[in-house]
Amino acid sequence: MIKKELWVVVERDGSEIEDVSLEILGKSAVIAKSSGYNVTGIVLGTPEDAVVRDVIRYGADRVILLKHERLNQYSNDLYVKVLFDLISSELPAALLVGATYYGRDLAGRLAARLRTGLTANAINIKMDEKGLLVFGVPAYGGKIMAEIVCETARPQMSTVRPGTFSKVFDQGKQGEIVEVVPEISKVQDRVKVIERKTNKSKDLTKSEKTIVGGNGVGGDFSLVWKLAELTHSDVGVTRPLADKGIVPRELQVGTTGYSLKSKVALILGVSGSEHFTSGIRDCGTVISVDIDKGSEIFNHSDYCVVGDAAEIIPAVIKKLEGKI
Amino acid sequence: MRNIIVCVKVVPKADNVIFDPATKRLDRSKAENQINDADKTAIEIALRLREKNGGKVILLSMGPPLFENYLKLGVAMGADDAILLSDRNFGGADTYPTALVLSTAITKIGDYDLILAGEESSDAALGQLPGQIAEFLDIPQVLFASSVKLEGGKLRVRRRIKGGHETVETSGPVMVSVEMGAVQPRFPNFEKMKWAISGFHLKIWNSTELNLREDVTGLKGSLTLVKGLIEITPSKRKRVFIDGNVEEKSSRLVELLKERSLE
Repeated sequence: MIKKELWVVVERDGSEIEDVSLEILGKSAVIAKSSGYNVTGIVLGTPEDAVVRDVIRYGADRVILLKHERLNQYSNDLYVKVLFDLISSELPAALLVGATYYGRDLAGRLAARLRTGLTANAINIKMDEKGLLVFGVPAYGGKIMAEIVCETARPQMSTVRPGTFSKVFDQGKQGEIVEVVPEISKVQDRVKVIERKTNKSKDLTKSEKTIVGGNGVGGDFSLVWKLAELTHSDVGVTRPLADKGIVPRELQVGTTGYSLKSKVALILGVSGSEHFTSGIRDCGTVISVDIDKGSEIFNHSDYCVVGDAAEIIPAVIKKLEGKI
Repeated sequence: MRNIIVCVKVVPKADNVIFDPATKRLDRSKAENQINDADKTAIEIALRLREKNGGKVILLSMGPPLFENYLKLGVAMGADDAILLSDRNFGGADTYPTALVLSTAITKIGDYDLILAGEESSDAALGQLPGQIAEFLDIPQVLFASSVKLEGGKLRVRRRIKGGHETVETSGPVMVSVEMGAVQPRFPNFEKMKWAISGFHLKIWNSTELNLREDVTGLKGSLTLVKGLIEITPSKRKRVFIDGNVEEKSSRLVELLKERSLE
């Protein structure tokens, strides 16, 4: 018997829970409230108690803690195994995972093993009158949203795009905590991590003021950083610049990167492919500079400056520095 | 090295796909097709591995007969072989039966050390097929890779994770999906193109050859269903154009930024 439960895989880095996991918990709580479902957060490893408590405060009615030292770090082989076992015995109606690198790595394989349908990068989740989850996913560079359902197989699975839903915090919320110790002594991790290098980069989805540079900013990207510093803004880039490795991929805006919700976005030297413009749709004011008057970017801008960004950026910097 | 199999998808260029709000259907008829960019990156990585370690690069794709010519482009890039999985029953598939068809074909080809694919396709951008294929083949997976090297009989892969990267090691066979732009794909070679068109025999396998029942492939074998398409209309923007020379434009920009406390 399938249970009226929405499960959320909680991704964490030590004691820090990924925002997208909290966002999904918040959205699930909203859906659950109006449909008589409950929300279960799945936490893996041996986290501090505060982590588990926060999963409840951010929306879970219950936490299942898959408690094992080996699960503190993400591993495809181990995570797929323990989640498959748990889901096969508990039979939740839905399983939601953040569309992070690890989350996407996990979801495809887990869905295949569960023999269930998987939707990717949902930007909308609702429950229809039959109790079926309807996932809205962007397609064709964000021009279209496809509504996807999984009618018969269970659980209904989707990854959820970071920055899409709002977190809901309730300090006083209480919930049940269930500890499960999975049997994984015989499970081998076939992929061995030799080296891990990360740096704390800015979470663009939370940026209030963003300056985005594209190919049209010219050769000197340091000017974009300079301008950002002067205006206390964060920096984003288009995919081609991220592909060139000029800045880390975490700063990429658009369909395959992050969506901005900035109050103000200054877009420099970007022509505006659909892959890109989907990422600035939710911004407050959009100001753009591009050399080509016919650029698509201007259809997505409040203020449009036709001109060479490579010329205009230094002029703006000079003025902001008070040199003129 | 043994076989390197590269999964390839032919996709329409996104900007050419037209959505008809009345019928809620996509019109792809005017869209130009191309090999998915990330898959081209995967082909290039495969060719470089072969140049260093030997083996055969085999392209594999599921789709209609029109994909043939695109696979031949991959052969002209340097692939040794290409197989198209084509059957009416394969149509309308979501990723589950797609992974099933591809992994069945991979097993039929056999003798492989490495399965490569692009990280995701530009049209659907799901990125979940590589993990599903790996599961069906029961081999480990490494997704979002930017480099793949064979060192001392082991595959050393650099993959993207949040805020950085990991270097991982695994012994084959393994499924690896590669990031678009990880390497610059080469252009098809002119002489090879001539051969790909006139001399090369592209294999086409259907459901009978793969021994797959009708109800496990295509639309019937799919576990998800597209209920509808909704056009995402961009929010109405003011579209105020600011004229003048560089001096005037930059002054106005500074004003705008100050008004919005972007200073």
